[in-house]
Amino acid sequence: MKDCKEFCDKFSDYLDGEICESECCLIEEHLKDCPPCDQLFHEFQTTVQMCKHGVSEELPETVRERLRTFLREHCKKEELKIREEC
Amino acid sequence: MDQDRELVNRVIKGDYDAFELLVEKHQGRIYRHLRKMVKDYNIAEDLLQETFLSAYKGLNRFSGNSSFATWLFRIATNTALMFLRKHRPDNVQYDDDLRTRAHVGHTPASAEFANTPLDLLLSDEGRRKIEQAIDELPLMYRTVLMLRDVEGFSVREVSKITDSSVAAIKSRLHRARHSVRDALNSYYSERDVYTHRGVTAK
Repeated sequence: MKDCKEFCDKFSDYLDGEICESECCLIEEHLKDCPPCDQLFHEFQTTVQMCKHGVSEELPETVRERLRTFLREHCKKEELKIREEC
Repeated sequence: MDQDRELVNRVIKGDYDAFELLVEKHQGRIYRHLRKMVKDYNIAEDLLQETFLSAYKGLNRFSGNSSFATWLFRIATNTALMFLRKHRPDNVQYDDDLRTRAHVGHTPASAEFANTPLDLLLSDEGRRKIEQAIDELPLMYRTVLMLRDVEGFSVREVSKITDSSVAAIKSRLHRARHSVRDALNSYYSERDVYTHRGVTAK
């Protein structure tokens, strides 16, 4: 019989689909029978969702503009080399 | 053939506009990844420029065995790691201190955290907390969590990008997620106590 910590250690692989079907069933059964683990799993899952949606992808316009200028200037020098290699 | 691959072929034939389309498509995610790796906006900008220039120079070596995004994130990750090894060698440790944080992942759930819907958790304050919790992770844990949970790469793609084994990625991801959960849990538990005290005082 596994203890709660062992189930808790499998949460990450479970969410990523990295464990076999029989182990998935064991985890699901345990979560049904153990409210503290079920709540912990819910928090764990929510954390992953918060990471997915909560980190800004904002790229300031000035950074975007400087990147465009930098690349136009430097890539020109590389253009011929790339074509020669091909 | 996917759209990125078509654009790469056009760039190799001399169409610079196609390269700008690739840059436009991927620059936001690459900048976010670099910003999280080095935790400095100015350095992230320099590395962003370096990453795309390296990608341009190496485009004819893109084999298409992996997606263009995987290939590009690998260049970005290596560019950041080279910078950090040179300027902040202490930050670049592969087996670092999360392993020794015994409490990680086993604090009880907080009622407020568990019962609040996701859209409410993603308030401005919630977003700041999640960014802060990720920033507090050691570099390689932070990088793996960003690639898997924020950028959405598979465990195997993360292993290719970081040149680490799948087992190492799973282990780092497990610890990183538990550590972030612990940080959020502590925050919501404290807020919970504070809220209840406030209610009682009224």
